[in-house]
Amino acid sequence: MSELREFKCPSCGGAIVFDAGLQKMKCPFCGTEFDVDTLRDYDEDLKNDSGDSMQWDAKPGSEWQESEAEGFKVYVCRSCGGEIVGDENTAASSCPFCGNPVIMTDNLSGMLRPDYVIPFKLDKNAAKEGLKKYLSGKRLLPQVFKDENHIDEIKGIYVPFWLFDTDADASARYRATRVRAWSTMDYNFTETSFYSVYRGGKMGFERVPVDGSSKMADDIMESIEPYDFSAAVDFQTAYLAGYLADKYDVDAEQSIVRANERIKRSAEEMLASTVSGYSTVTPESSSVRFSGGSAKYALYPVWLLNTEWEGKRYTFAMNGQTGKFVGDLPVDKRAALKWTVGLTALCSALAYGGMWLLWLLGVL
Amino acid sequence: MRKSVLCILLAAVLGLFCCVSPAFAINEGYGRLMDEAGLLTAEEKSELSRTLDEISERQGMDVVIVTVYSLYGQSAMRFADDYFDYNGYGQGADRSGVLLLHSPGDREWWITTRGYGITAFTDAGLDYIGEQITGYLADGDNAAAYGRFAELCDEFITQAKNGSPYDYGTLPRDPLPLWTIPLAVAIGLIAAFLIVGAMKAKLKTVRFKAEANSYIRKGSFAVTQSRDTFLYRHVMRTPRPRNTGGGGSRTHVGSSGARHGGRGGRY
Repeated sequence: MSELREFKCPSCGGAIVFDAGLQKMKCPFCGTEFDVDTLRDYDEDLKNDSGDSMQWDAKPGSEWQESEAEGFKVYVCRSCGGEIVGDENTAASSCPFCGNPVIMTDNLSGMLRPDYVIPFKLDKNAAKEGLKKYLSGKRLLPQVFKDENHIDEIKGIYVPFWLFDTDADASARYRATRVRAWSTMDYNFTETSFYSVYRGGKMGFERVPVDGSSKMADDIMESIEPYDFSAAVDFQTAYLAGYLADKYDVDAEQSIVRANERIKRSAEEMLASTVSGYSTVTPESSSVRFSGGSAKYALYPVWLLNTEWEGKRYTFAMNGQTGKFVGDLPVDKRAALKWTVGLTALCSALAYGGMWLLWLLGVL
Repeated sequence: MRKSVLCILLAAVLGLFCCVSPAFAINEGYGRLMDEAGLLTAEEKSELSRTLDEISERQGMDVVIVTVYSLYGQSAMRFADDYFDYNGYGQGADRSGVLLLHSPGDREWWITTRGYGITAFTDAGLDYIGEQITGYLADGDNAAAYGRFAELCDEFITQAKNGSPYDYGTLPRDPLPLWTIPLAVAIGLIAAFLIVGAMKAKLKTVRFKAEANSYIRKGSFAVTQSRDTFLYRHVMRTPRPRNTGGGGSRTHVGSSGARHGGRGGRY
């Protein structure tokens, strides 16, 4: 005799009973019928639901060697508190984050030695070109903003990133439907079949970057991604010559939260992409388990320009490796209004003309 | 001699018949406007009568309007057919004509057609006329409804005589209605907002990246478990809309044995 278990109706949630006449399970509340095997499988899927487990063994970076650290100067901005590092030949006079003057302090303390660095591939001229190109072709950008930009102050800066590696085991359960329609002489039929879909999968993530500087906005840093890590080299102080480096002030432990979010989302997307052939797919639950997680510390190249316009600060950033340029820009409200009014008139006229045409063709 | 006299007589009678037969006269005491329910003022009546007579004579086809207070349980179709047949309406050998019966007591109307009327007023045409007058009838503006009916009859008969009676797809149409103007402006406004929105979107390029898809190790993704379990199905049944006919006029035979076309409705 098989064990007696209580099953819940996948359609309405009511308790299902065995209908001797049908030799099937039947929900007394909504009348839906099921095979016993179907319910057992479904129950199995439900039991597979488990929580996330995101374990990391994160000890990135290493200690500086005595002689290495000596060649650096640390600058502190009195205005925003930003701390930047430059080699002794780089004279930093203004803060790349807020534009205020910086002062030099002597020792390099509380900073780990990076594991990797992606050297700058694009120089200052390329960055200036990038900005010019970025500002062109934008109709709602105030003209003054283009003219007033102190484009020369664009600065190359190495931004600290934590890079997370992990293997992920993910599972997800979906409710999916398939719709079939047909007609007879008198009726149209629509049949909706409901499925419980279960997917488990594994994948590896390599060097998911999380910006380790609180001075660099995370959204800007994520916007200039991705970096091509194949160009990364083991860290050498020589790469810092002529550029500034930002000191990390968000440690790896804190940064993991963001990496977890993004990895979980990716894992879910990958699994969801394997569910096909359905009319609708609704995720019901998902879980991700990490294993073999590790972190590394690297410096990524960024061209940065901070500018102030009408009391607001605007930050532009360019990926120093790929040239991807981002930065939110102000909207010229008057130009926006003019365009809205003009386009409304034009589109209305077109729509009305279209309706006349449809009327003449006898559609309307 | 007698034979030839008989022949001449016969010919004369036949000739008389031929001359007279087209003019089936409307019975004594009946006109083209019979406001038995008393819905119109004297002024409206005389004007409408004049209009109906003018159209009927010009088109060679009786255009009749009858109002009755109640149908007394009879079907409007029967009532209208019999009213037409037994009161001598219709011109020509085939007694061509069209009659609008309106019973305010039953809130019902029926248009019956006979002879050339069946050709001139297709079912689609009658439905169109019905649509045009129902609004007025519902508002109690009977004079306007009858006026519109007369006007449309004139138009429909003229159209039929020109070779193609109004039917599905060829019905007279209202000009582009006024509500299309605010609709066009609304469409224009939405389109403008979308375009300007796209221009504004060009100014905003800073966004969080929700996923880490670019960092998945190449070839590392593998599905380890995959199960699709069919649970249950729902079937929904909806009646199919009836196919409307291909045009023309459907006819029936009235109690007098005459063939009629017709269409009616309630309001």
